[in-house]
Amino acid sequence: MTVPSLLPKYPRRRHGPQGRLDLSDAWHGQSYYGQPALKNPQWDWKVSGYIAVAGAAGAAQALSFLGSLRDREVFRGARRNANLIGLAGAAAGSALLIADLKTPKRFYNMLRILRPTSPMSLGTYILGAFGVTTAVSALGDLAPMRRRPALRRVADVAQAGAALSGAGAATYTAALMSATSNPYWAAAPRGLGAQFATSAVAAGAAALALGERAGGRSGSARRLEDVAACAAASHVVASLAASAGRRASGVGPGPGEGGQPSGSTKAVVMGALPLAAYAMGRASRSPPLAVSASLALIAGSFLLRHHMLEQGKRAARRPATGFRFAQPHNLPRRRRLDRSG
Amino acid sequence: MSFDLPHEARKTAGTEIEPGRAYGFFTDTSVCIGCKACEVACKEWNQLPAEEDGLSGLSYDNTVDLSATTWRHVAFIEQMDHRPDGETPEFQSRWLMSSDVCKHCDPAPCLEACPTGAIFRTEFDTVVVQQDICNGCGYCVPACPFGVVDLDDVDGKAHKCTMCYDRLKGGMAPACSKVCPTDSIQFGPLDELIPRAEDRVAELHERGTTDAYLYGAPGHPGATGGIEKLNAFFLLLDRPEVYNFPAAPTRPANRIAPALGTGLAAFAGLALVAATLLGPRR
Ligand code: SF4
Ligand code: SF4
Repeated sequence: MTVPSLLPKYPRRRHGPQGRLDLSDAWHGQSYYGQPALKNPQWDWKVSGYIAVAGAAGAAQALSFLGSLRDREVFRGARRNANLIGLAGAAAGSALLIADLKTPKRFYNMLRILRPTSPMSLGTYILGAFGVTTAVSALGDLAPMRRRPALRRVADVAQAGAALSGAGAATYTAALMSATSNPYWAAAPRGLGAQFATSAVAAGAAALALGERAGGRSGSARRLEDVAACAAASHVVASLAASAGRRASGVGPGPGEGGQPSGSTKAVVMGALPLAAYAMGRASRSPPLAVSASLALIAGSFLLRHHMLEQGKRAARRPATGFRFAQPHNLPRRRRLDRSG
Repeated sequence: MSFDLPHEARKTAGTEIEPGRAYGFFTDTSVCIGCKACEVACKEWNQLPAEEDGLSGLSYDNTVDLSATTWRHVAFIEQMDHRPDGETPEFQSRWLMSSDVCKHCDPAPCLEACPTGAIFRTEFDTVVVQQDICNGCGYCVPACPFGVVDLDDVDGKAHKCTMCYDRLKGGMAPACSKVCPTDSIQFGPLDELIPRAEDRVAELHERGTTDAYLYGAPGHPGATGGIEKLNAFFLLLDRPEVYNFPAAPTRPANRIAPALGTGLAAFAGLALVAATLLGPRR
């Protein structure tokens, strides 16, 4: 089929006395009776909960794999816990995702195809791979298995797989939200990727650290808390960058749309508070402080995902936000050159 | 036996309907009179239930938007001040009426998002949801740049305009275009529709209606950011936002690589840090 490639034959209209439209003109806030121009998914806490669970579980597997590589003995307990967290995460995550479908009995239709343009399709296979490798890796923790070196090696390989797919499970959800037409999710794809990755690592490390504290293994706990603190610090940076990216695309709160603490304020509170608690826990050698910091990081990772979901839904209900984002000056540069050439 | 003409569209739309050719709608809003025959014909042919029976208060528009059970929507825009130069006689408003519909985008963001393959591109280059496959994940809904496709609460599946896929297979033009009394909705092969639309814009400009422009035809506003063309494209007389259209929509799938790439890079960076911090300490 050939559609003739037709560049506009007519000169782009200037803003004359009669000509009202010139897309290079600024948009002056017009809308259709203030009606939303976009529709929202019927996603709720189950989806944001899944994103947080997949992030923490995926990162916990990756971190315990790294820990085992560096210091197998010290991280034996953490590795067992990571396998359990991974199993629970994969099971709970799948359950949440299926429960969120509006026709759940057809969940297996997700496996009909693999569509590279759909993060939801990619994620189905990433989560599947994570579940399978985690299960095999967890088998290696069973007492009868541990006595056979060959099986132990299989479990090690499986955990490497769980670490890799865990990295995917922790980050593909940023693509899932960015690859929509929702202005809040779409405006800063890179920032959102960094936000989800750093928050996942912080929550995964915090979860493992809690396990180590509970098991009385304070050496490995302290190392994991250091990782969590680093991740929380990078999360603050990522959140500030993402907020700046959104503002640059016109997706900050506009006039008359305020009343909400800005994303960056929340990010600082969510990341900086636990950071301070870790530092104080460090200085005063107080495990309870470190434990509460870990708990705060995990809670923060859930709040972050839910905040993202709700802010996006709110943004889509305001036509102004979507229209400000969908302006020619926000188009990727290459495309713009194409069009004017 | 059937009473249908074998190639009815020859008579009603002046075109053959053959698989393998790209078809679409050219909605020329400059001649829309707001009769809503398209809305009614769509509901009847596709057996879509009625929705709100109240009055919206938004001019004569009580349909308000497209939904899972409303696939044509006529927008009514009353402008009292459309000519700031004062040429408009006092008390004479301008009416803009426009029949909105699924744009059957190419590439189609809803289709690219659908993880089950329920949404597919037909042999007529249109975009259709297969109701027997959709599992109601709802990902197509935020993917659509135009707020078209939606889930239905009753059956838990996604629904939208099919460009009357069943009629096309039977050689008939879509119901809305067939009933439109002013030819505001024109159905046909894109290689005929687009030049016809270009000519229409030229004609309007010659007559002094220099506001007219195409939205969604290749190379025009609406076909931007990786969306090559909207198979259902429009002739508009004011900014796109006035009709509730985005000025420069983008293809969501283009954001997968930056989001996933940066996410994995950040993850890898922290993994390096972790590999250092988790090692034995002296
Ligand atoms: S307008 Fe929306 S529903 Fe229609 S093809 Fe495009 S993305 Fe899909
Ligand atoms: S709701 Fe149905 S049609 Fe829409 S993306 Fe999900 S499976 Fe596909």
